[in-house]
Amino acid sequence: MERSTIDLARRWARANLFNGVPNTVLTVVSVTVAVYLIYALTRFVFVGADWEVVDVNRRLIFLGRYPKEEQWRIWPPMWIVMALGGLSYGMLSRGSLRDLAWLGAAVVFILAFLATTTNGMLFGGGVVLAIAAFGLGRLAIDRPLVRSKLRVITIVGWFLVIPFAIVLITGFGGVKPALWGGLLLNVLLAAIGIGVGLPLGILLALSRASSLPVLKGFSTAVIEITRGGPLIAWLFIARFVLPAFIPDAFQTDPIVNSMIVVSLFTGAYVAEIVRGGLQAVDKGQVEAADALGLGTFNVTVFIVLPQAIRAVIPALVSQMIALWKDTTLFAFLGFTDALSGGQAAYNQAAFKGSQIEVLVFVALLFWAVAFGMSRLSQRFERVLGIGVR
Amino acid sequence: MTIRWGKDLTDLGLLWRRRRTRRIIIQIAIAVGVGLFVFYMADKARDLDDLGFDFLSGSGDFPLSTQWLTNYESNDTLLGAYGAGIFNTVRLVVIGIVLATVLGVLAGIARLSSNWLVAKLATLYVETIRNTPLLIQIVIWYTVVFLQLPRVENAIEYSGLFYLSVKGLALPSLTIDGSFGIWVIVLVLGAIAAFALQWWLHRKEEEGGGSKHAVAWAFLVFTVVAVVTYLLTGTPLEPDTPQVVITGANIYSVKGGIQVEPEFAAVLLGLVIYTGAFIAEIVRGGIQALPKGQTEAAAALGLSGYQRLTLIILPQALRIIIPPLTNQFLNLTKNSSLAVVIGYPEIIFVGNTMINKIGHAAPVYLMIFGTYLLLSLVISVSMNFFNRSVQLAGR
Repeated sequence: MERSTIDLARRWARANLFNGVPNTVLTVVSVTVAVYLIYALTRFVFVGADWEVVDVNRRLIFLGRYPKEEQWRIWPPMWIVMALGGLSYGMLSRGSLRDLAWLGAAVVFILAFLATTTNGMLFGGGVVLAIAAFGLGRLAIDRPLVRSKLRVITIVGWFLVIPFAIVLITGFGGVKPALWGGLLLNVLLAAIGIGVGLPLGILLALSRASSLPVLKGFSTAVIEITRGGPLIAWLFIARFVLPAFIPDAFQTDPIVNSMIVVSLFTGAYVAEIVRGGLQAVDKGQVEAADALGLGTFNVTVFIVLPQAIRAVIPALVSQMIALWKDTTLFAFLGFTDALSGGQAAYNQAAFKGSQIEVLVFVALLFWAVAFGMSRLSQRFERVLGIGVR
Repeated sequence: MTIRWGKDLTDLGLLWRRRRTRRIIIQIAIAVGVGLFVFYMADKARDLDDLGFDFLSGSGDFPLSTQWLTNYESNDTLLGAYGAGIFNTVRLVVIGIVLATVLGVLAGIARLSSNWLVAKLATLYVETIRNTPLLIQIVIWYTVVFLQLPRVENAIEYSGLFYLSVKGLALPSLTIDGSFGIWVIVLVLGAIAAFALQWWLHRKEEEGGGSKHAVAWAFLVFTVVAVVTYLLTGTPLEPDTPQVVITGANIYSVKGGIQVEPEFAAVLLGLVIYTGAFIAEIVRGGIQALPKGQTEAAAALGLSGYQRLTLIILPQALRIIIPPLTNQFLNLTKNSSLAVVIGYPEIIFVGNTMINKIGHAAPVYLMIFGTYLLLSLVISVSMNFFNRSVQLAGR
């Protein structure tokens, strides 16, 4: 029995790693690289790095200057997001063993590192909620009635959680956007950017496809001029140029200005993506709908757009990930996001020379969210059957 | 004229219901709105004394830390400063595009390698880099790698040719001599001869079959021509190796050779590694989109793995790859603006410095957008040209 396993392993290695001289050389080089990477990483994480700077400045990195007594406002939306995430993953997953292993690892990690503090317990509660939601979603896969209801709840939930979070944080004597900070700021920026940018982009794409020459020219100009320059240039303009041009009555907080710019920028990119989707919709669909007597509005909203957007979901998710990563630009406009909070942390006298720990930690935070989104989108694509030929 | 309830209003309603009228009214409304907006902005700009480009002939009285091919000095005009900024941006974009393409193609092929370990390493690279913000990567390269390098006097050196220190990387270079021009002319002639030889041998190959090693012969001819004339013209190129020199009491610096500043190196590394990961995905997608039969047929014909890749797979995959690749080049161009955060003087950095010194924010940003537009145009036009040459003919 054992013999055959070894034999199998040997045969696999010969077929995949040592078939021919060039491949053997490649394998040897790769083994060296891999071993070195693992060695360097392990050494860095457990021996070289001093994680105290991250531990002490956790608040700065996650919340920036956000007032402590208003912290409770963040938890409900966060729990909802975690539950929705678990539900979505559960409903989209098929091979559950591997997912359970991942979730188990996450739980152990959470319990080991965070359960000692109140915030850790609150976060741990969210994780438990997410796992429960995952289980629910997984169970619902084989029950069509429950599944269709859950699907509606999930989609509506994702759309409502952003306004809910913003209302809960800002409203009822809450925290003004100027005091949003840390990773929370990045999350809200990305959420607002996509929340406003998506509908705006769809409108721009539709008007670019319009038969009215002035409307078409206008939206084409808006899209192309916006896409013509890098986001950082637009943010600099919004921060340092535009205020002089806006009448006093319309002046807003710098962070709000920048949010508007990010939304417009995202809208222009979404518009180009959706335009591709619109072009992919078969002409017969429109003609058939016209023949049924549907008006222009109905044809657009109920026939063309659903098909167009379905075709471009992967590109839209890529755009969301790009936006999420781009929110780090705010660190260099004088706002305290996760990156600039981290920079403030390693500039403290007590933690001189600990740039690498902080930067790696912040990078990991961004990576985890972006990676999670891209995985979710891959599953979504598989379930919808996009790109399968 | 009085409006009567009843007839006139129904007329108006009918008018509104007519498609043609509605279209015209909507369009007029948009045009008026845009016109008012532009008029307001121009008026405001006049109020702020922010119109025109006359200020460019004045001096901003600031130095630039890094220059490439330009020699701007503090008391030169602002136009000169901006020009130096353009060159700095172009330097990043051109070198970045070349290196990112090489890295991306290699990583993309590696992801599809039959060698399990190579494929996994390439996947690790792509998934890590693609999902991490470029800005953080650049900051890490700069503050964690380049700023932690030893001081000049303790530079890491390799047999007196390379010096790596906190002041950047110094590489050996070549300086040209009087007979350089003649040598270059001979080189061009040699290259033409080599191409002709390669073409002729290649045709014989196609006629008679069998390999005549066309590329190897051409390369040999060119090398022989280059070396012989190099010696005959009396070594027109002199090696210029960098050296550590003492420029003051305990002040050391590196002189000679090519200097790669740490800011440039950090941004370039960040851009290349980041864009390379995206290009890798494009290359992988392009190769995977080909029918499997292509590889199998090539294998059945007895082509080696390298021949399959270069003669069968890549030329066809190129058709799918080029449009998204062009997009990545444009992204790299725009991402080069992130260099501003670590103080590399590309156009936005120079522009912001100009605004700090003398104002005129609106025209400066108009120039910046114009420059990006021009760069993007050059890239798209040349890539479109390239694209047309690899597409299937007769479609």
